[in-house]
Amino acid sequence: MKLTEALATLQAAPKEGPEFSVALACGFTPVHLLTFLGAHLQRNLPDRRVSVTAGLYGDIAGTLSSLPSGSRRAVAVMIEWPDLDPRLGYRELGAWGPRRVSEILTDSRRMLDRLADALEQISISSAVCLPTLPLPPLFHASGWQASEGELTLLRSVSEFAERIARNSAIRVVNMARLDEASPRAARFDLKSDLASGLPYTLAHTDAVGSHLAHLIAPPSPKKGIITDLDDTLWRGLVGEAGPDGVSWDLSSHHQSHGLYQKLLASLAEEGVLVGIASKNDPAVAAQALRRDDLLLRPQHVFPVEVHWNPKSGSVRRILEAWNIAADSVVFVDDSPMELAEVSAAHPGIECIRFPTADDREGYQMLRRLRDLFGKPRLAEEDSFRLESIRRGAEFRENAKETGDQEGFLSTAEAEITIDFAAGGDPRVLELVNKTNQFNLNGKRLTEADWSKFLDAPDAFVAAISYRDRFGPLGKIAVIEGRHDSERIHVRHWVMSCRAFARRIEYASLQALFDRFGAEQIIFDFAKTPRNQPLQEFFTSLLGRAPEPSLILTRRGFAEDCPTLYHQVKGRSEIETPLYG
Amino acid sequence: MDNVENRLAGCFRLVFPDLPENQIVSASQATVPQWDSIAAITLVNVLEEEFQTTIDFDQLADLDSFPRIKEYLEKPAA
Repeated sequence: MKLTEALATLQAAPKEGPEFSVALACGFTPVHLLTFLGAHLQRNLPDRRVSVTAGLYGDIAGTLSSLPSGSRRAVAVMIEWPDLDPRLGYRELGAWGPRRVSEILTDSRRMLDRLADALEQISISSAVCLPTLPLPPLFHASGWQASEGELTLLRSVSEFAERIARNSAIRVVNMARLDEASPRAARFDLKSDLASGLPYTLAHTDAVGSHLAHLIAPPSPKKGIITDLDDTLWRGLVGEAGPDGVSWDLSSHHQSHGLYQKLLASLAEEGVLVGIASKNDPAVAAQALRRDDLLLRPQHVFPVEVHWNPKSGSVRRILEAWNIAADSVVFVDDSPMELAEVSAAHPGIECIRFPTADDREGYQMLRRLRDLFGKPRLAEEDSFRLESIRRGAEFRENAKETGDQEGFLSTAEAEITIDFAAGGDPRVLELVNKTNQFNLNGKRLTEADWSKFLDAPDAFVAAISYRDRFGPLGKIAVIEGRHDSERIHVRHWVMSCRAFARRIEYASLQALFDRFGAEQIIFDFAKTPRNQPLQEFFTSLLGRAPEPSLILTRRGFAEDCPTLYHQVKGRSEIETPLYG
Repeated sequence: MDNVENRLAGCFRLVFPDLPENQIVSASQATVPQWDSIAAITLVNVLEEEFQTTIDFDQLADLDSFPRIKEYLEKPAA
């Protein structure tokens, strides 16, 4: 992004709407960094009014410590060498030389500890960029040799980064990715450093701003990937070569297919849904999919759509089984025609061509997939998401077979755990941000927004987990709001589509009424293009279409609530049965 | 307005978005309160991008008004 473009982006930002306020803590004059960071954030959050303000120059720890609690959505921290010791910069004339090195290393270590303490003490989500500039020529060795002192300094920074990255509120810029976006030799501008106090070239300032903005307001990760088989999951046409004739390894010169399988298996273990859509003879493809040396194991994949019908239909059925929208999914195929057919039928789906004959492009594709599915942290539920979708399908199938929903639900051995102390669990916010269909208003939140909500003394968060005789679904619903003795005000309510048709939504509301003893629940409802299931729930409960700020009374709920068969446990600090 | 003046006015609109349109061509550091040292650096960098040129920081003190900047930009390169 050019500076003119960044300024234009900021000027075109919405003048109304919710503010997204970010503090920038850095030691140098952040003149263009404020602009680029603001512009990249504004691009990532087009509906928000982004404002970025700088703290005291020259004192990052002081800036962090002086931030009033709850006043900011997020903090961007830009550390450069002079922040650790002024002698590591060019604006001060403190002596260099062998006798000073040990002192500089000690002071730097101490400052890094102070910064880590300050970052850990603030309860605001933070994006941190480690020093990006070349070190000044203060060490004894020539530039092509890494001196012991320089390596010690780099180790201190690395240990600092490792320490702060353990904190769930802190994210650290990937320096290797920054190196690609901004070559090291083109970063430092001594003239600008001396004249204005900004040590960066414009291009580097843009790259740093972009990386910090991506940590503060990242894109939502995709949830599922649908892959083709022939010349994609493996090399060759299984219908012609036979199950043993397709390959994916180094000896066959088709390693990129093996690497793709390895990434898919890894994504599946991280909770990404993996499905197959292939035009093939199902029996032959099934034999190949059972091969022992296939890196993507059968338990990683569901559903498998193999037949000769159009792939758009396969994709539709897979999306239905997963119960997620096309824009949360990536479709990978080697055929541009198949990609075009699926893309036309499912607007919003991300279509990627598998570059069968080009390993370099294959490498880029693996990186792109990692970026599309990357998550800041993994939660326990991620590991059994696919299994719970399989169980959900089994649950629906059983309910359909028995034809007696009441009888089926009453024997499902359903157990609900409502955790009122889970506000800080990353999975809770993740669920709020990625759920579309049973979502009270579709509002997306940053970690900073979430922390600010939870800071209120009357705020509550209920995280709901579910299991039945078909197995656990894990954490599947979240309700967030405020309460007093009379009313509960629900601002966010989401439930995973995996949990539909189990009356969990009714049990959740019952638990809220019981816990807070309130007579009314007021919902911040808003109709969205995707929350039809939630609208249908309210319509069935209220006998009319829901409207904004809808109110549900305890009495009205009791009259219309169907029989609940769940055993419900509450968890605040200790586990106690609520009812059941 | 000629071409340089037009482009220069565009730069001023970006750096000083609150400056009334009819005051742009006569704007100077003395009449625009937002024209501080930070804005001066931003203006120089915006001019460099727009006019594909390099402006020495030593020139900053002289480039203190719209007319003087226009004159500088129209001066043939030495």
